[in-house]
Amino acid sequence: MKKVSIEEHIKIVEDLVKEFGEENIYNTKVPRAYRAFAHVKREKLRDIVRYLKEEHGFVHVTTISGVDMGENYEVVYHLRSEGFSFSLKVPVPKDDPKVPSIVDIINGAVLYEREVNDLLGIFPEGHPDPRRLILAYDWPEGVHPLRKEWDIQTIREKVDGKRWGKDVE
Amino acid sequence: MSILTWARTHSPWLIHFNAGACNACDIEVVAILTPRFDVERFGALLKGSPRHADVMVVSGSVSRKIRDRLKRIYEQMPDPKFVVAVGSCAISGGVFQDCYNVMEGVDKIIPVDAYIPGCPPKPEAILDGVVKLLMSAGY
Amino acid sequence: MERDGGKTLSEREFIIPIGPQHPALKEPESFLFTVDGEVVVDVEPRIGYNHRGIEKAMESRNYIQNLYITERVCGICSNAHQTAYTGAVEEVGSIEIPERAKYIRVFMQELERIHSHLLWLGVAAHEIGFDTMFYYVWRDREVVMDLLEEVSGNRCNYAMATVGGVRRDLPRDKYPKWHKMLDKLAERTNYYIKVASTEKTILERAVGVGYLGKEDMIRLSGSGPNARSSGVPCDIRKLTPYLIYDEIPFKHIYVDNGDVLGQVLVRTLEVIEAVKICKWVLDKIPEGEIAVKFNPMQRLPEGEAVYLVEAQRGELIHYTISDGRNMPYRHKIRAPTLGNIPSLVERLKGGYIADIPITIAGIDPCFSCTDRMAFYDEGKDKTWTWTDVELSKYRKEWYSR
Repeated sequence: MKKVSIEEHIKIVEDLVKEFGEENIYNTKVPRAYRAFAHVKREKLRDIVRYLKEEHGFVHVTTISGVDMGENYEVVYHLRSEGFSFSLKVPVPKDDPKVPSIVDIINGAVLYEREVNDLLGIFPEGHPDPRRLILAYDWPEGVHPLRKEWDIQTIREKVDGKRWGKDVE
Repeated sequence: MSILTWARTHSPWLIHFNAGACNACDIEVVAILTPRFDVERFGALLKGSPRHADVMVVSGSVSRKIRDRLKRIYEQMPDPKFVVAVGSCAISGGVFQDCYNVMEGVDKIIPVDAYIPGCPPKPEAILDGVVKLLMSAGY
Repeated sequence: MERDGGKTLSEREFIIPIGPQHPALKEPESFLFTVDGEVVVDVEPRIGYNHRGIEKAMESRNYIQNLYITERVCGICSNAHQTAYTGAVEEVGSIEIPERAKYIRVFMQELERIHSHLLWLGVAAHEIGFDTMFYYVWRDREVVMDLLEEVSGNRCNYAMATVGGVRRDLPRDKYPKWHKMLDKLAERTNYYIKVASTEKTILERAVGVGYLGKEDMIRLSGSGPNARSSGVPCDIRKLTPYLIYDEIPFKHIYVDNGDVLGQVLVRTLEVIEAVKICKWVLDKIPEGEIAVKFNPMQRLPEGEAVYLVEAQRGELIHYTISDGRNMPYRHKIRAPTLGNIPSLVERLKGGYIADIPITIAGIDPCFSCTDRMAFYDEGKDKTWTWTDVELSKYRKEWYSR
C-alpha cells in the first residue's frame, strides 16, 4: 500500500486557497493525514467543487450533512479523492436557506441534497428533482426536525396534534 | 377441538413485516426457517402475501411513514388473525423511545397477541413465542 | 398515486409500485418501476420507511448512551456503526485506545463481515429461486453466528466496542477452537465460490444481469462490494486505513464483471480474506489492557471529526461535532445503502422485471417483491390489481400481437 503523508494533503488545501483566495476559502485545517476541513463561500461552492474534481480527483461525494449552528446553518460536503476526505462547510443564512445544487458536477449527490432539504429545509437550487425523500407524505410543511428549534415534543404537537410519550403521561 | 381449530393451529402461515426495524430481528426471524431451527416442523410457512397469512410477525418500532401500511397489511389478512411483536422495539419502541418519527410500539396501531422480548430475541425465543401462541389458540 | 416527477408516460408504459412490504425480508423500501412490456424504463426509489430520527435523538443522549443507539442503526452492520462512532468520538477527544482493543475491534468487524456476506449469499440464492443453496449457506452461517455468540454473548448487536476500547476480552484458551471454526467457514466458502462460478442455475441468472460499468459507478459515487464488482478499487480499509488495517496483509478485492456474478465473487472472496484477517488477529494479538476509562459524564473538547469505515455494504461515515458538553452537538450518520441507491437505479434500467429482485438484492439491501402488483391508468385515474387469470390472459394477448 502506498503511504501518504500529511504534507501531500496540506499541499492540496494550500493549492486550493491559492486558487480561490482567502476570502472564499477560510478556516482551513488538516487535523491528520486523510482529513481536511474548510469553510467555503456559498457563491463559490460550485466552482470549488468543480476545481477539486478536475484538478485533484475528488469525484466521490461521501455524504452531505446539514448542521444548525445557532446563528446560521452549515451544509457540509464530504468529498473524497482516493482516501483523502475533504469536508467543505458552506455557511447558509437562516433567512435565505438555499444552496446551489452540485448534482450536475457530482451525480452521486442526488439523494443527499434531497435529504438535507427534508431534514433541515435547505433548498438545493437547480436540483433536477427536489421532492420529499425521507419524511412521511402527510408530514406538515415547514417542520424540519434537525433544526434546533424543534424538539421532540414540539414536533409531536405539530404533527400529531398533541404531546405524548413517557415524559408527558 | 373443532376440526377447523385443529387445521389452523397445525399449519399457521406467517407473514413477516418490518415496521422500521434495524434488521437484527428480521434476520433472526428468517433464521428460524433455516435448517438448524426449522419452524416448518410445526407446519408454519413463511408467505409473501398478507392474504395468505394467519400470523403476522412484526418487528420494529413503527416509523411514521410505515404506520398506514402496517394497518393496511393487517386489514388485508383474513380472520382469524394473530399478531406477534418481535423484539423490544416492537413492544415499546425500545431504544428508539423519544425519537420524533417513531410510534413506540406495534400495539399502539394494531392489536397484538404475543410479545417476544429481546434485542434481538434469539431464534429459539421466537420459536417458543410462536409455539406458545399456537398453544393458547388451542394446539 | 403521486406521479413520477410530472413525467408523462407513453401508451405502452406502465408503473409498477413494489414495496414497502415484500415477501422475503428486511428493510421496507419502495420503488416505482416504469415498464415497457417486460423492460424497466425508469425507476423511482422511495425511501424513509425506516426513518426513526436517530440523529436528532443522539443530540440529547450522552456519549455512552449513544453507543446503544448507533449500534441499532442497523442490526447487521451494528459493529461497523459502533466502530465508526467510537472512532469519531475518540478522535474528537484525542483518546488513545489500547493496542489489544484495536485488534479485538478488527476481529469483530471481520466476523461481522463474514456473517453479513454469507447472509447475502443465501438471500441472493433465494432471489434467483435456488433455495437449496439458501438453506446450505444459512446452515453454514450458523458457525459464524455461534462464534459471535461465544465472543460477545449475543447473535446480533454485540455491544463490543465502547468509547476508549472494548468491553470484553478474547479468552486465549478458546483460540484453537475458533481457528477450527474459521477453517470450516473458509472451506465451505471455497465450495460456494466453485458452485457460483460453475453452476448453470446461477450463471444463467447472474451473468450480465444488472450491469453497470466502471465510469458510471464512479460518476454515481457507489461504494463497497457494489462498486468493487464494477472494477472500482474503493476499499476504505486500504484507502484510509483505520485501527490496524495498514499492518494486516490482505488482498484488495475487485473484479471487472459489473454484474450480479461480480457481486457474488467480490463478496465470497472477501469472506476468504476476512477469515484470513481473523486468523491473523488471533495469531498476533498482543497482551494488555482492553480499554481506557471513559465515564458517561465526561466532557469532550470542542471539535469535529470524520470517521470512515468499510462496513459490509460499503463506505460508512460518521461525522460528529462536539461543543464541549458530554453529548454531541450534531452527529451525522450515512449508511452505505443510501450511497448505493443511485447506482442501483442505473443497474435496474434496461433490465427485465424478472431480474428486479436479484438486481436490488445485489447491492445488499435485499429486496424482492413480485407478488403484489397494482396498475395505474393515467387517463382514467384509477388503480386496480390483477388476478393470476387476468395476468395470464394479458400475457397471451401481449405475445400474440
